Amino acid sequence: MLNISAIRNIDPKILVLGNYPVIQSILDFDYLSRKQSPSVLAIIASGKKFQKYFFGKQQILIPTYPDIKNLPDEYKKQINLCLNVLSNRRILSSTEETFMTLPNLTGGVIFAENVPEKHALEIEQLAKKYQKWIIGPASIGLLIPQHLKLGVIGGVDARQFLQSNLLQVGDIAVLSASGGMTGELMNVVAQSGRHLSFALSFGGDRFPVLTPKDAFLTAEADSQTSTIIYYGELGGYDEYEIIELLKNKKITKEVICYIGGAIATLFPQSPQFGHAKAMAKNDKETAQAKRKALKSAGAKVGETFNEFVELINQGKHEKIRLHIVSNLQNMMDKISQRKEPLITTTISADIDGQPTLLGQPLLDLAKNNSFANIVGSLFLGRKLLSKDTENFIDIVLKTTVDHGPYVSGAMNTIVTARAGKDLVSSLAAGLLTIGPRFGGATNEAANHWLTGVSNNIKPEDFVEQIAKQGKRIPGIGHRKYRVDHPDPRVKLLLDYTKSLTEKRFTEYALHIEKITTVKKGNLILNVDGTIACIMLDILSEKEKLTDEQLKQLVNAEFFNTLFVLSRSVGFIAHFLDQKRLDEGLFRLPEELVAKI
Amino acid sequence: MARAKLSEFKAKQILTRALGIPFTGYEITSENIHKVVTINSGDKNNQTYVVKVDQGVKGRFKKGLVAIDKPIEQIPSIIKKWEQNGYKQFYLEPFINHLTQEEKYLSIERTRDGFKILFSQIGGINIEEHPESIQEIVLPYENKSGEDVQKIIHHLSLHEKSFTSMLKAFDDNYFAFLEINPLLINADRIILLDAAVEVDSSAEFFLSDGSWTSRDFNDYSSSTKTQEEKVVADLARHSTAAFNLTLLNPNSNLFMLLSGGGASIVLADEAFNQGFGNIIANYGESSGSPTTEESYLYSKQLISLLKKSTAPKKSLLIAGGVANFTDVRKTFQGVIQALEEEKTNLQKLGVKIFVRRGGPHQAEGLNLMRDFLQKNNLFGEVAGPEMILTGIVDKTLNFIQE
Repeated sequence: MLNISAIRNIDPKILVLGNYPVIQSILDFDYLSRKQSPSVLAIIASGKKFQKYFFGKQQILIPTYPDIKNLPDEYKKQINLCLNVLSNRRILSSTEETFMTLPNLTGGVIFAENVPEKHALEIEQLAKKYQKWIIGPASIGLLIPQHLKLGVIGGVDARQFLQSNLLQVGDIAVLSASGGMTGELMNVVAQSGRHLSFALSFGGDRFPVLTPKDAFLTAEADSQTSTIIYYGELGGYDEYEIIELLKNKKITKEVICYIGGAIATLFPQSPQFGHAKAMAKNDKETAQAKRKALKSAGAKVGETFNEFVELINQGKHEKIRLHIVSNLQNMMDKISQRKEPLITTTISADIDGQPTLLGQPLLDLAKNNSFANIVGSLFLGRKLLSKDTENFIDIVLKTTVDHGPYVSGAMNTIVTARAGKDLVSSLAAGLLTIGPRFGGATNEAANHWLTGVSNNIKPEDFVEQIAKQGKRIPGIGHRKYRVDHPDPRVKLLLDYTKSLTEKRFTEYALHIEKITTVKKGNLILNVDGTIACIMLDILSEKEKLTDEQLKQLVNAEFFNTLFVLSRSVGFIAHFLDQKRLDEGLFRLPEELVAKI
Repeated sequence: MARAKLSEFKAKQILTRALGIPFTGYEITSENIHKVVTINSGDKNNQTYVVKVDQGVKGRFKKGLVAIDKPIEQIPSIIKKWEQNGYKQFYLEPFINHLTQEEKYLSIERTRDGFKILFSQIGGINIEEHPESIQEIVLPYENKSGEDVQKIIHHLSLHEKSFTSMLKAFDDNYFAFLEINPLLINADRIILLDAAVEVDSSAEFFLSDGSWTSRDFNDYSSSTKTQEEKVVADLARHSTAAFNLTLLNPNSNLFMLLSGGGASIVLADEAFNQGFGNIIANYGESSGSPTTEESYLYSKQLISLLKKSTAPKKSLLIAGGVANFTDVRKTFQGVIQALEEEKTNLQKLGVKIFVRRGGPHQAEGLNLMRDFLQKNNLFGEVAGPEMILTGIVDKTLNFIQE
């Protein structure tokens, strides 16, 4: 069951299912509570890989995954709380999935309204089985001042936290069926000069997973709580369970309550109010009967709301451990001043006036690292983990630097240089030639190897599939080299797989080469295909990237980058060479042009 | 939404299919009545019929909304009489001759601990006189068979398969409550003389084909509603936010435009608790972050009712708690838009408007409202969370009593 003291002792790491403005308010709460880092660790939502939010004035990116399954293992382990803001249709399945997938989850909040009763009851069974707590459905969540805001509870506008004094720790627990009344009661507590130990709304559904009875027992067990404030409504019998607890001295703390819905007697037939449970089918379920019964069990009951507020104001003097909350206005100003940035970056910026790359001052980085290392790190967006990666990048850069003036890119640079154009124009002319037939097939080859391996497609089937479409396999085939006259660069590159253990992608590519070379001698694994498969293996084994992350690199055309970078050197060299030779305007001799 | 009553027609259609027994009922309206009569006319061994109003009315028998053992030719005139009283949906089935002693009682309810089964060998209208004859057994969801089931089926002389099929249909169709009274069980067959079903209306998306839809909720009370109430009900059906509006006393003084499921109850309660139940004109609330447009449409309906009231002194109470996520500015923009359209009428009627609300963008929303009301001479009071929730009710009541 929900244990507030236990939650106070964990560092909240929240997974939010679904994307909702609530996330920013949680981050604002964290910031105003002076946390060093946000409590929301990751989001499950389709679309983007990250969602942009602010922590104070600072923009941050929260990693976003399409499915719980895609969460990295380290996140799965770290997550200990869950906030589910998905629609009612997906509540049952997604809740079960969080239980199964997140080993250190303690529990969570379900926000959706209109979750079928049957599903709520099934979630209750699952929660018992997996020993998790669930607040909801239709709950605005759980709030523990200075520690946790799990839901829209307390508001979505940071100014509300200050108004309702949600950043100070006190001794009053607010428990409510209604989300709106939870906010209202927190406001009443704030105005009485007292503060909250915690607040939660179990939601107005017929079968809240955490029952009002559970919530009372939770408050009783919480050493910081001395008074329980409860808002209930007509309908159902939950209050009678609370009355039993009071009578049996299982609840010994001061209880102040209000039961809404006396007005129902004005209606010809007891109406269905806003909350699913709020309907009295018989006398015992009316607000009047519940008030009377609670009173006789020793609870303080407000007959009117004014009287209820009066009871709260009269409360005994609390022994609060006041956190000194000064300078909050200053922090609020930072929140209100923040602006959506035009550009977001993760790799480099000026920090304290110093150019900083990947968290290191540029000069330090330059002094202590090879160019290959810096290239690899910047391209991956983080420091390389392995020297093997650096070495492979180095050899790729070296081996792809130039391949003579014959290739189309170099040709275009040369033609442009001879037309009298400048350095950048000539280089650009060469670069713009790089594409699927020249130099730019590496990424497509990586895409194919990755698809084949991660979907366990047999190499024979793979070749067959592509052959059927009448297409060529990217990374296979060469104009000059043949199986009996191999490309020496490929042999050299393959030496770099020696430090690898699995070599899933290289093995796969070589297997495919075996099949294709039987058909035709020049259908060998070419440089593009080789770089692609080895790079995939190194990133997977040495840089610990998941197949999903590799897929993202393919989508960003990562595997073409080294060729583009390195061959730029070759193009520049050809430009300079042409200038040195002072070659004149190039024009094709007529005999080399066929008129048909 | 919550639990909703299914038409008897639909309830029996689902149950008879599950039990594998023939279904002989008709759903009747003024449109198909003659067709049904024609089909069933002619020699059918002097078959007579039962006809009932099928609009979720409680205590139909006592209200004379059930006619038993009638020849088919009489049905149209019976229905005509009911139609004159505003009823529109009826249910017809062949009358089955039986002895009162054969009538039994069975109900199933979805509760937290399991299916709560109430059953008795006494049924029909006699059950109320013999509550002691009703036995109760709760079948846990994870264990729906065993000794307890045997007890129930033996007591009712029901086939086990019939009982489990019924329970399965209950669960698969997201029923919340089922009452069969009377239930007839002969040696070889089971007959549902009367079946009342409440379903979990939030489950509509999860149902398989051939089950119920929200069109099968025949609620008589909704057909007697005013145009304004109907518009609001329609608004609620097509929005992710929640709206409701019930007119209690059309010619009263206090009209309430409330926000938030719980706070609305508290606000309305306050007037009632102070002994002013009789001046409350309506109960109405919106919650769940309505859009500006929806707030406008909702407010329009309420203002329309207010205009029609003949009470000499009228006030409009626009109030709610401290919202968690409903944007006060956005919703107030909609309310103001509706007030703007009617401001001259409201001024003529001497209406004063009292406002109390908190939540996201409350400062902006309250300022907009204050400016508008003051400029147009409609100002009663505008307050934020610094005022106790029900304080605004006191102010409104004071104004009406002045």
